[in-house]
Amino acid sequence: MAEWVQVGSAGEVDDGEVTNYSVGERQIAIANIDGDLHAFDDVCTHQQCSLAEGDLDGTLIECPCHGSRFDVTTGEAVNGPAVDPLDVFEVREQDGELQVLMDE
Amino acid sequence: MADFVIVGGGLGGATAAATLRDRGFDGRVLLIGAEPMPPYERPPLSKEYLRGESDHRFVRPPEWYEDNDVETRFGVRVERLDVRDRVVQLEGDERIPFDQALIATGSRNRRFPWPGLDLPGVYDLRFAPDADAIRDATRTGRKAVLVGMGFIGAEVAASLRMLGLDVTVVEFMSTPLERVLGPELGRAIEALHRDHGVEMIFRDAAERFEGEGRFEALITREGRRIEGDFAVVGVGVEPVTEVVGEGVPVDDGIPVDATLRTAVEGVWAIGDVARHDHPVFGSIRVEHFDNAMKMGETAAANMLGADEVFDDAHWFWSDQYDAQIQMAGFATEWDDMVVRGSVEERSFSAFLLKEGQLLSTFSMNRRFDVRRSMPLISARAHPDRELLADPELDLRRLHPPKG
Repeated sequence: MAEWVQVGSAGEVDDGEVTNYSVGERQIAIANIDGDLHAFDDVCTHQQCSLAEGDLDGTLIECPCHGSRFDVTTGEAVNGPAVDPLDVFEVREQDGELQVLMDE
Repeated sequence: MADFVIVGGGLGGATAAATLRDRGFDGRVLLIGAEPMPPYERPPLSKEYLRGESDHRFVRPPEWYEDNDVETRFGVRVERLDVRDRVVQLEGDERIPFDQALIATGSRNRRFPWPGLDLPGVYDLRFAPDADAIRDATRTGRKAVLVGMGFIGAEVAASLRMLGLDVTVVEFMSTPLERVLGPELGRAIEALHRDHGVEMIFRDAAERFEGEGRFEALITREGRRIEGDFAVVGVGVEPVTEVVGEGVPVDDGIPVDATLRTAVEGVWAIGDVARHDHPVFGSIRVEHFDNAMKMGETAAANMLGADEVFDDAHWFWSDQYDAQIQMAGFATEWDDMVVRGSVEERSFSAFLLKEGQLLSTFSMNRRFDVRRSMPLISARAHPDRELLADPELDLRRLHPPKG
């Protein structure tokens, strides 16, 4: 059963920025790309570095450790060394909150 | 008849096979590797794998090859790649005709004719079993003697110290990594290791390894006797070129053009073995992970007719203790170095310039500078020294406009 979980406040992720959030046991990242929010696993599938510390280039985020690149809209690993995709999540701003749709 | 045969089962060869399939090629692909294991990542062998913190990380999952109809011969050596008759000859005399070939044979550790090099307890590090052997030696050994302090030596020194062993390194140059980094940056690496308790002896070299049936001491050219429980030699690599038959020239590696093609139509070379013609750096041969992977992608595209130029700015990393080190570009000489941040506090980047052109960027514990500098290196930029020196300046602001 999926559920909207509050992770922060609406408007707190600025355009071009990526921010890390803890949701229960998980680390997720939320990127703001031209006003659209995208939520995805913050843990690189190669060697578990935090992707929120990497650079955004369009819809691609680059892992700061070993250079893997993921499309944050789909989770696809576009460039290695990572092979496995990231989980992506629905994200919305509602009632002044920043919310992510998480499976229980 | 194989459409494409890939000689070499490392990162580059496996990445090329995967790229061929990713791009929808459905012909016969044969991947031949001398190692019995499916292609795996080597960087952890001197780091987390050596310390027992991680298992092997495969380039593609072992079942990927069968699932994607890539034929494999792992644990099989290639005797000869005959580019005239377009036949690859395997050990045991099996001969397989091919249409195009990709040479991804990599490099092997350099071995000098030092007496005692074959004694039990003298190791070098290239393949997974080498890392296993050194790991085993750390279970009972307390003191390690290292010969050479390039990246492999420096990373092994760090890992052994992290496991609590005493480490003494003998290095021919006057600092670690001096050939790659120059003495000034080399001293920053030296300070890092000194603060972590590594004993380093510079301007000296191995003369012979001694021991009664097993390594007991290294005797150096300057007459030092350095005792230890085991030794690890890391004195550089040389490209593996001898499988290539007549028709493909060899000159410190296999020369390839900017599209990674050898002198022979339909025969390509990538990774450590390839000496490529780089649009910014000229003729260079690069022995790093990212290069092998990216060349595998480009060569596969070009085998399918893409005609892409390989112009990657080159990038690699090295983790030593808690220091994250990265470097991009390629510079054998430079006339100016600009530093941002603090060398003493181990949070800095160094920009290597020649006649004002940025050739290479090195960083320790500054995650962004190196990768953000790569578009500048590719563009042959002549960035302002004061802007480079400003630790607050985001290098992306200096990037040339896109498109």
